[in-house]
Amino acid sequence: RHPLATFFHLFFRVSAIITYLCCDWFSNSFVACFVTILLLLSFDFWSVKNVTGRLLVGLRWWNQIDEDGKSHWVFEARRVPTKAASTEAEARIFWLGLIICPVIWTVFFFSTLFSLKLKWLALVIAGISLQTANLYGYIHCKLGGQQSISRATPSFFVTAGAPKSKYR
Amino acid sequence: FAGLADVSISEDIPVEGEITVPVGSHSPDEDYSTLDEPVRDTIMRDLKAVGKKFVHVMYPKKSSALLRDWDLWGPLVLCVSLALMLQGGSADSKDDGGPQFAEVFVIIWFGAVVITLNSKLLGGTISFFQSLCVLGYCVMPLTLAMLVCRLVLLAGSGTVSFIIRLIVVLAMFAWSTLASTAFLADSQPPNRKALVVYPIFLFYFVISWMILTFTPQ
Repeated sequence: RHPLATFFHLFFRVSAIITYLCCDWFSNSFVACFVTILLLLSFDFWSVKNVTGRLLVGLRWWNQIDEDGKSHWVFEARRVPTKAASTEAEARIFWLGLIICPVIWTVFFFSTLFSLKLKWLALVIAGISLQTANLYGYIHCKLGGQQSISRATPSFFVTAGAPKSKYR
Repeated sequence: FAGLADVSISEDIPVEGEITVPVGSHSPDEDYSTLDEPVRDTIMRDLKAVGKKFVHVMYPKKSSALLRDWDLWGPLVLCVSLALMLQGGSADSKDDGGPQFAEVFVIIWFGAVVITLNSKLLGGTISFFQSLCVLGYCVMPLTLAMLVCRLVLLAGSGTVSFIIRLIVVLAMFAWSTLASTAFLADSQPPNRKALVVYPIFLFYFVISWMILTFTPQ
């Protein structure tokens, strides 16, 4: 149902990984590769957090700062999940993409560390943080949404009602 | 809109920020308005938020917009552009200033994290990402200074150009420090303000130093 979202969900992550692996073939410039991968990772983070999560699996999470300056992390889940074959497949692709890529970046972390190519370390750490943040956020959404419907509904309104109308 | 019935807005807080529920007579089922909004809306909303923050840095007045709706896109763009300008140009050699690029990156982000931790340890009420957001956006004057310095260096690198660059960098350094202090110092208890301002001063000083001592190959 959302082929474009599915494509983009995987596109940025996989491109970042491929660029990291093949940067020596593309360009001699460390800086160009660094900036490209960083931009791909950032676009991936933003699109997974804000777009593909809610289109593919109906989950969303964000950070909310209230009047006192306290920060709340809000995790939102679609109340009535639609069960169709296409959404099952999309959900599976979503979760697989979400889980496998941080693992790959962790492998890169160790390989960079042990091969002492330390100038890439900052990038790999950035990649791990961004992708793990999305993974953690969505797992939290998912676990929160799996409480019983009667409990989830009031909590959905309580957390997401007032803060979500983000005007003061 | 039931939850808004008793919202009171105090005078000095500008009413602004992200509006995720479209104002107007849209569907009554507003619960899914952010879950189901079109992608274009999401993109435009975030772009506008980033733009608004840049404007706030230009005219720093006490505003909650920068603090409440934090995002790290601005800092990312500024950091990348500053690092690109600081690394001297030749894009196709093995030895192309790669380490300097990563160094600038690490200095900015690591420095911002350390300042944030410092302010949190001193009992500040601001959250981690808010502080990173403010520090990152307030790098903008220094990025502008770098741009000006590069242009001035195109014209020559004698004493006059150094004096011009010095003045520009000093002015922008002061602007950055004042802007970020205006946003951050309020979240601290009054007797701790100097302890919080000092690392910010150092942070922007280091960046200004990198800018001022930059000489193209």
